[in-house]
Amino acid sequence: MLLILTVGALATPGFISTPSLAALLTSISFIGCVAVGMTFITLSGNIMSLCLGATLSASSLIFMAGLSFGVGPALALGLGFGTLFTAAQGLLVGYLRANPIIVSIAALALLVGSADYLTGGQRIYSPEDSLVPLTGTLWGMPVEALFLLASAVIGQIILSYTRFGRHIHMVGSNLKAARAAGVSIWRTVTGSYLLAGFFTALAGILLSARYGSGDMELGVGYDYDAIAAVLVGGTAIHGGEGSVMRTLLGVAVISAIQVVLLLYGFSQQMQYLMTGLIVLTVIMLHSLGERHS
Amino acid sequence: MSVFKTITRESIRPFAVLSGAVVTLGLVDRGSGNFLSVATAFSVLQLFSTLGLVSLALGLSLVVRGFDLSVAGMLSLAGCVAVLTGATHPWLGLAAGLALGLAAGTLQGLVMTGLRIPPLGVTLGGLLTFQGLSYVLTEGQTIAYPNYDLALILTEPIMGFLSYRSLITLGVFLIVALVMSHTRLGRDVVATGSDPEASRIAGVHTDRILIGVFALSGFLTALAGVLLSYSLAAASPVALSDVLVPAAAAAILGGVSLGGGKGKPLGIAAGVLTLCILRSGLNAIGASPFVHEFATGGVLLVVAILDAPELARRLTSWRLRASER
Amino acid sequence: MISRSPGGDPPAETPILSVENLSKCFGSVDALQEVFFSVDPGEIRAVCGENGAGKSTLVKILTGVHRPDQGTVRINHQTQTLRHPQAAQQQGIALVAQELSLAPHLSVQDNIWLGNRTVPLLHRRPHLRRQARRVLDIIGLDQLDLDRPAGSLTIGERQLVEIARMLARQARVLILDEPTAGLSDVEIERIFTALKELSSRGTTIVYVTHRLGEVFELCDTVTVLRNGKSVRSCRVTEIDRDGLIELMLGQSMREMYPPSRTSTESPLLVVENLKILGWVGDFSLSESSGQIVSIAGQISSGAAQVLRAVAGLAYDATGQVRIRGQPMSLGSVRGAQESGIRFISEDRAQEGIFLKLKVLDNLIATRLGAGFLSWSALHQLASNLARRVGLDDLRLGARAGELSGGNQQKLALGRSMGQEQKGVFLMNEPTRGVDVGSRRDLYKVMRQLCDNGNLIVMTSSDLEEVVGISDIIITMYRGKLVARYARDQVTMHQVLTDITHPRFRPGERKTES
Repeated sequence: MLLILTVGALATPGFISTPSLAALLTSISFIGCVAVGMTFITLSGNIMSLCLGATLSASSLIFMAGLSFGVGPALALGLGFGTLFTAAQGLLVGYLRANPIIVSIAALALLVGSADYLTGGQRIYSPEDSLVPLTGTLWGMPVEALFLLASAVIGQIILSYTRFGRHIHMVGSNLKAARAAGVSIWRTVTGSYLLAGFFTALAGILLSARYGSGDMELGVGYDYDAIAAVLVGGTAIHGGEGSVMRTLLGVAVISAIQVVLLLYGFSQQMQYLMTGLIVLTVIMLHSLGERHS
Repeated sequence: MSVFKTITRESIRPFAVLSGAVVTLGLVDRGSGNFLSVATAFSVLQLFSTLGLVSLALGLSLVVRGFDLSVAGMLSLAGCVAVLTGATHPWLGLAAGLALGLAAGTLQGLVMTGLRIPPLGVTLGGLLTFQGLSYVLTEGQTIAYPNYDLALILTEPIMGFLSYRSLITLGVFLIVALVMSHTRLGRDVVATGSDPEASRIAGVHTDRILIGVFALSGFLTALAGVLLSYSLAAASPVALSDVLVPAAAAAILGGVSLGGGKGKPLGIAAGVLTLCILRSGLNAIGASPFVHEFATGGVLLVVAILDAPELARRLTSWRLRASER
Repeated sequence: MISRSPGGDPPAETPILSVENLSKCFGSVDALQEVFFSVDPGEIRAVCGENGAGKSTLVKILTGVHRPDQGTVRINHQTQTLRHPQAAQQQGIALVAQELSLAPHLSVQDNIWLGNRTVPLLHRRPHLRRQARRVLDIIGLDQLDLDRPAGSLTIGERQLVEIARMLARQARVLILDEPTAGLSDVEIERIFTALKELSSRGTTIVYVTHRLGEVFELCDTVTVLRNGKSVRSCRVTEIDRDGLIELMLGQSMREMYPPSRTSTESPLLVVENLKILGWVGDFSLSESSGQIVSIAGQISSGAAQVLRAVAGLAYDATGQVRIRGQPMSLGSVRGAQESGIRFISEDRAQEGIFLKLKVLDNLIATRLGAGFLSWSALHQLASNLARRVGLDDLRLGARAGELSGGNQQKLALGRSMGQEQKGVFLMNEPTRGVDVGSRRDLYKVMRQLCDNGNLIVMTSSDLEEVVGISDIIITMYRGKLVARYARDQVTMHQVLTDITHPRFRPGERKTES
């Protein structure tokens, strides 16, 4: 499957040319960061959060609003908000075992309500051009892509090389067994959500830096794109199995297909359709592959 | 204390929350007539017609432990198909939309039972595919439906607060409620969601039930989509897709549990009405939109915490530790 | 007619169900070899055997789940090929399985008719309600509200509703597969009363069990299976308990248990005034290292809950626990682990091991250490542990779910081993679902652990095992300690009496040296 995709992509004229690659890299970076975050939630056995898209938007708003105090404080505020707000949901899910999907919907409604109250539905623009380091390119790569790469590497190191990461796998695989093995469920789940919030807030900040503004519409649909990437990558929807690297692969597969379609002259609309069909196909292939092994 | 217990009893809770919402808004309104008016009732029922069937579809899928994400895509897709095919013959558009919903739902059911894929994965693919398909069909544009008369007929007030559209919606709710409560099928649906393995051992064809529920879910959503597009005289791939969160919220308020086996059509109707009353009611008394979001979020959060399985254990544990000291 | 082993007597009455020369193998394993038996109408037939003796394979053939490689099943003298479960149902053979098949959200009445093909589409019919009422009355649930959700019933009541469902399906032969697992003695009594009533009305009952007491209390006749063969069929009056044990175990079981030993060191584990809400009233214990201590008791005795509480898994337990004189706080699994407690759950698939994770991940689950992980060291540790419990370390990369029950239990045990610190192993039902061959290995490992200075406290519903493996036996009844014995001071009979109907008030501690 991957081989076909790679060959297909490379055989497409113009695919390896720098502008389209750079555009691809930038566009997948935002979804990629959210997907890396979503991976932690899915792996920990809590399926998905419907609130990450709104958290991304809210972080972008707070970042933009915080810029009046300088870039540093703005970063801290944006990241801190996304991290803590999501971690609070994780606490409810982990400590009381509240249903993760209901909690995320409730959080979504509260977040949208607060944002509406505070901004009156307005966009917040960046007050100055101080965001250059967060956009542009570095070593020929879009900065956003470097952030995604760093997020994925850090995420994977946490999952594979720390006790906490192994605990996420254990809790996602079998919660009762994890408890009997001495794993603190609420710490692990809260930690997973905390990381998810952090990576989502990062995406929000990068996205608002690129557009020079923040608003609540920025993150619409990111929840579904992110969970699609997680599933296409082959992380099990009921948790316990998967990795950030797989998710990265999932993001790459989806985006590569979109670019190939674009280069072959398919309309934007056709790309949406193909994305859906491909997500469906890949999920089915994963299931077939699992049954044969 | 017993009053509290009655209110929190699960079968009654949706209706208690609903009456709570009506009473609260009525008190805030204090007889100024903005909230307790026929016009508000009409707008509540119009909202109900949009959200209700989607919520019913999603709720039924939740009863069998699925989570039909694809309803968000099907709502707009069915609308687009109906508008495109039904320009001259509305019935043809309706039939095309409904057939599509039924077929798509059946197909999703077949995939999840045949390949043993969790419903969420399949319907996520369905959501993205349906959305993509409606973008392709409309080329990303809002398309107008030339038959304005139909739109007027569907949304014309009957007795002040009803309309053909809301009557159809209410009728469908009634039929589904009767099927669920009075037929063997309804019983098997609840059994399948309650404990799939146990039901299979007892002799229920759980796979057929699952396929049937997802087919029905596609059908109901398609009906909602067609009615909505006809009454707006327009279809768009974008504008309607933001229905999933309120639909899920309404189903959960209506007493559906994500663990399966719990949830009744009339409860879901009460849940949807609660949300619609909050939205139109708050609108009518001049509250800002964010109040509605806050109210929805707050109620859901309380439901989530009250339903949390560890809540009782945590409380017992705290009490014991406190009494030890 | 009773005996139909090769060369047995011809039938005196017409058997309703008879099985001849039945064989079935899975791969290279002979699950059943030349099994013979037959049952008369209204008879209650016990089918006994150790785990792995072929009981469940026999049940699955009779209910149409598996098809035999060889042999015939006759129902009312007609040879039947039971191709699928529905075919068995049509012949009036009904199974009440170990795993309950009631939908918790449905009412009792709906559950009775669930899966019944004769129910019309519009099923709210008065005659169905009357019929449901009638079958409930027959089995002694005449007080039960038909509209109560099944989820609110006790496990015993659910078991009875399952039986009622089969009656409503006009079952002529009712097969029950260890129906009393997880039931209190009062509930067991209710089920026995119901079954006797059914038998007097002409329903045939095949009662699969490994609890010997039930054979003599309930059944008319018994068929013993061992290693897939039917060893003997006879009236229960023709055999006594010891004879039955010998038939089931084929003598060899006695050699399975390593020799016992006692210890006089200062206590390693001290539990005082342990109380668990709804389970345990007041429990104390003080044991030294180097021994295997069994707490014997029925499900309702709270024995398993005592171990869970000491392991830190009970949220509602109070009391004092000291290890080597150091107090340990209840309610924290991590705290218990750091004090040297290792808990091995009775529910392997749900709570013991991570079926979806690799064998490697399972072995190192509690040994990850702080900071960044060193995978090479963890690999080393895992293959070490695997060797110690007799697991092939080539299988470290396999998923735990692919291992056999015995190997999974070794895995659960292996995870807790190889630590410098000597500790307390708490094992609930360590050999549940483990075949006879792996049992011997497990017992050996357990004994070695004790020889190395650890203490094992275990619970088991298999009294044979309790008396065989333990150095110290503690009996419990309804949340209280009944007595404490050294192995050579007690018989299985005494243990059984203690845990079912203790002769002295629970809590009075019988002292011994």
